[in-house]
Amino acid sequence: MATLSSALSIAVQSLGTATGELQVTNNNIANANTPGYTRQVAVLQEVAPTLDGTLSAGNGVELTGYQSVRNELLQTQINQETTAQGGANAQLSSLQAIEPTFTTSTNDIGTEISALFSSISSLSTNPTSSSSRPAVLTAGQNLATAFNTASSTLTSQQTGLNTQVTQDVSQINQLSKQIAALNPQIAVLKASGQDGGTLQDQQDQLVLKLSALTNVSVIQTPTGETVTTGNGTALVMGSQSFALQTATGSDGATVKVDDQSGSDITSTITGGDLGGTIQTRDTTIAGLKNQLDALASQFAAAMNTAQAKGYDQNGTAGAALFSSGGSGAAITAGNITLATTDPAAIAASSDGTSGSNGNLANLSAVQSTELPSGETPGDTYASLVYSVGSLTSNANAESTATTASLVQLNDQLSSVSGVSIDEESANLITYQQAYEAAARVVSTIQELFTVTMTMGTAAAE
Amino acid sequence: MRVTNMLPDMQYAMQQSQQNLSTALQQVSTGLRVNQLSDDPSASANMVSSLAASANVDQYTSNVSYLLPQMQTADSALSSIVTALNSAITDGTAGANGTETSAQRQSIASQVASVLTTVVAQANTSYAGVYVFGGSETSTPPFVAASTTYTSANGSAASPLSATTALTAGSVTTIGDATTGQTWSYTAAQGDNVGDLEAAIASAASTGKISANISASIVGGQLSISTGSSTAGIAVVSNDAALGSMNAADGTAVANAYAYVGNSSVNSVQVGDSMSVATNVPGSALFTSGANVIGSLSNLVTALQSGTTAQISAATTAVSTASSYIDQQRVPLDNSISQLNSQESYLGQEKITLTTQQTALVGINLANAATNLSQAELDNNAVLAAAAKVMPQTLLDYLK
Repeated sequence: MATLSSALSIAVQSLGTATGELQVTNNNIANANTPGYTRQVAVLQEVAPTLDGTLSAGNGVELTGYQSVRNELLQTQINQETTAQGGANAQLSSLQAIEPTFTTSTNDIGTEISALFSSISSLSTNPTSSSSRPAVLTAGQNLATAFNTASSTLTSQQTGLNTQVTQDVSQINQLSKQIAALNPQIAVLKASGQDGGTLQDQQDQLVLKLSALTNVSVIQTPTGETVTTGNGTALVMGSQSFALQTATGSDGATVKVDDQSGSDITSTITGGDLGGTIQTRDTTIAGLKNQLDALASQFAAAMNTAQAKGYDQNGTAGAALFSSGGSGAAITAGNITLATTDPAAIAASSDGTSGSNGNLANLSAVQSTELPSGETPGDTYASLVYSVGSLTSNANAESTATTASLVQLNDQLSSVSGVSIDEESANLITYQQAYEAAARVVSTIQELFTVTMTMGTAAAE
Repeated sequence: MRVTNMLPDMQYAMQQSQQNLSTALQQVSTGLRVNQLSDDPSASANMVSSLAASANVDQYTSNVSYLLPQMQTADSALSSIVTALNSAITDGTAGANGTETSAQRQSIASQVASVLTTVVAQANTSYAGVYVFGGSETSTPPFVAASTTYTSANGSAASPLSATTALTAGSVTTIGDATTGQTWSYTAAQGDNVGDLEAAIASAASTGKISANISASIVGGQLSISTGSSTAGIAVVSNDAALGSMNAADGTAVANAYAYVGNSSVNSVQVGDSMSVATNVPGSALFTSGANVIGSLSNLVTALQSGTTAQISAATTAVSTASSYIDQQRVPLDNSISQLNSQESYLGQEKITLTTQQTALVGINLANAATNLSQAELDNNAVLAAAAKVMPQTLLDYLK
């Protein structure tokens, strides 16, 4: 049978429910701009009715809990796109630093190659000129310097990327530890039937940061999230994290990444800043260095061969014009230098007389003759310029595309999990009215209690 | 779709419009569409080739500018020589008419000797310190007054050279024969000595490369190269440090005799991708071989001094032949000069073409760049205005 007490109980319960709803709305509004915050909604349930004869009387509403509104699929997609963006940005950053070295109008290799051949052509008009001979050596040294600078820039980038690898691995280990620390706490909540809530939001943000660093795979287990790298190396299992390590490679310079057991996993890491950094260092820049070294080596060999066909100003057979600097090592872009500082050493003569310019034609011919690589020196450099430009352009395009994609994905996630101030404002009014209504019911019941207790008394009359 | 917060989209839109604005501004300020390689990798690569071609054109143009006056100087010298030879022909014709006295013929002989001196001076023409008729021996006069005997500066009775004295590897010793107009050179190989040089000279004489009477020996400790005849002259030059310079022995000069100590090398200079021009005509080809200009003048002087009328006439005819020969030798030189003038015009056009190509590759029309900038500014302002309108508004502003 319905009583004032039961009615009061229902009203009090309503007050509590409205209070709970107000609290979750307040929390949503407070965290509207918190990165990674998933909006919560109050989960209400009708209390089981009471049967009174043929009458079924409701027992009001109860607040059973708070539920975060998540979309795991969207979150996974965002993580993947963040990984792609991290990789693209890592490559773009390095390539943009390399680009200026391969310009087409200042003291770059192409300009200095042209200057060298111009100086040789100028010398051909007067092979005994005391100004034209030193000019050839100056041009030769400028070209060697241009090679050295380009090589140094690439090496410097690789050194910087080694530092980046170490920093990324350190961050990965830190994040793994933090994710592992949250796993048991979230597991307890879920075991009691509750939503992961704020702790889950924190863990999702940590996984997002981890995704920016490297490609990861996340699997939900009863003990929490299991996180592995793309090739299956464990980072987090339950409450335990597994640290990656860095070590110097066999070349004494390259920083490699090892798993917790010491196995080299460098080449298996893909995506993210770490994957992009490793790819840029070990593939992209290494490839450019090889092309540059080949150009320097083959160009020097061709010029030295042409020198050997003629005679210097003293009538002696021509000696090498370029060398590796006395170390005896093979000529590379990093060590190429002039082998002589004596202007008389330029083998201009074809017959041993100082006034002959016959061998300068052999030196000049190097400009239009294919190197063993299959292209002339100028065309080889042009190919290098194209490589750098297109690599940078592609990285830029990928960075732009992933950024645009992330904006869209975040919009989609926000539409599910984001806080709408307008919506919460409307809810605020709704829950305020519900509270006021419930309070009004309490007041009414209170008055009824007073009437009941004073029934049949003088006060009632 | 539930829209919760427009700020991220607005930020992205603003970033995009500002990037476009930055690009447009850079294009206007630089005048370039391609400011880094990634803007257009293909155009950047093509620029490398185009700039290299431009550098070549610039150098070819410089080469033409250097060579033209040098070759015009050489041509002018040949023209002067032809004029001088014509004067000698007139003198020779006068001397051969049989009516001149001995004294008059001696006077004519002196005039022709003066012509010879003029011709030799023209043959030793230089331009910017370069002797233009010496082949690749451009640093010393190619035509030297002949003497019967030349001796080395090095060596003495007290410190004599010997047959086993080592020569400097790569050094060149040249003997010019005034009688035949021939030139012979010896390049010392590693391990060669003075004895080898003496033997080589003997061999050259016996095989007709130089006059048969030329020989070399050690005299007074010095290397001595001589003709063994008071009327046959030679000139010797050497850059061998072991011998020192070769000098004419005192009192051995042969009057009106000159020898060529240059060589027959021809230098070529590239003035186009597929075009080279010969920059010199060796003096041996011009003056001492073929019609032997210098020899014919020397012979005319000798004939006028002591020859018969028939000999004077024959010598005059030889000078006439030499004059025609020089005229013919001017033709290739004149052709080269004409080629250079044409090439100069072509290179000027080529430079313009390449500059236009480079502008098309990486440049941007300033009007287009300004238009792009205006549009980018408009777009950016629109995005900012939209953001300013939309972002601050929420339902709370209307709930009072």
